[in-house]
Amino acid sequence: MATAVRMPSANQPKSMTRPTRWNEEVEEAYRFQIAGYRDEIEYREVQKTDHVDRWPHNGYVKKLVRRDGCFYYYNRTRECPDKQINKTKLYEY
Amino acid sequence: MMKTKQQPSCTNKKPEPPLAGAFKERCTGGTSFKKFYERGDFPIALEHDTKGNKIAWKVEIEKLDYHHYLPLFFDGLCETSHPYEFFARQGVHDMLEHGGSKILPVIPQLIIPIKNALNTRCHKVLCTTLKVLQHLVVSAEMVGEALVPYYRQILPVMNIFKNKNLNSGDGIDYSQQKRENVGDLIQETLEAFERYGGEDAFINIKYMVPTYESCMLN
Repeated sequence: MATAVRMPSANQPKSMTRPTRWNEEVEEAYRFQIAGYRDEIEYREVQKTDHVDRWPHNGYVKKLVRRDGCFYYYNRTRECPDKQINKTKLYEY
Repeated sequence: MMKTKQQPSCTNKKPEPPLAGAFKERCTGGTSFKKFYERGDFPIALEHDTKGNKIAWKVEIEKLDYHHYLPLFFDGLCETSHPYEFFARQGVHDMLEHGGSKILPVIPQLIIPIKNALNTRCHKVLCTTLKVLQHLVVSAEMVGEALVPYYRQILPVMNIFKNKNLNSGDGIDYSQQKRENVGDLIQETLEAFERYGGEDAFINIKYMVPTYESCMLN
């Protein structure tokens, strides 16, 4: 039986780490992963867009489109709770 | 010898007045939020596996008709059962966060749902509604001032519960940390009303809640 061959995209991460403390990079990754993406790079590939809605005062992600077309909206301030920090994944390319 | 007929000893108890029930919780009956939610009229998707306590919107919030949806979501604040309570609370939060100038024209239509939610006298509903009011006054410009004419409809219940604080001596009141202490929440809400309500806010608050002291003048 032929198995479906998935062509690797150009931007596959090489490693993944789990953060232990909160910072803005963790917050960014948390917001994308809540919506079902690894990070901003995968979001841009899947949604075929370069534009990500962000809050103007601090640059946090404001709105994302999920894979099924629904919208997720995020707060102006930190959303990632302490207990989710070590469940967030930080990818390196 | 005449026997005097003894009068039966009457207790002379005064009939007690019935309880007014100022603090008693009142049931609201079905809300229109519940009815519309079950009909599927809301542009929100039900999630079972989100870890972030978010609701997924099928339509962009910026394109929603706030005159129709925002009062409905506010009506759902009276609900206490899952998932109505969660969707109403989170839906109001998202709409206020991203409403901008669309919120101000809808304020008059929000007063009745806010009043109904406060009139339930239910602890959980009170806490949710007070937090929503604090968010409402900061959500857009002039909203705080637009609420001033409606203080006489929404502040009486706050006057009743303003002193509902737990006297635990030297114990720790965990409800303060979780922002579920009604007395403290009312104080925070009234201070937010005063900060964002303009010049006439304090005198109007003082008229309805005489024990409130200004946080700006002193």
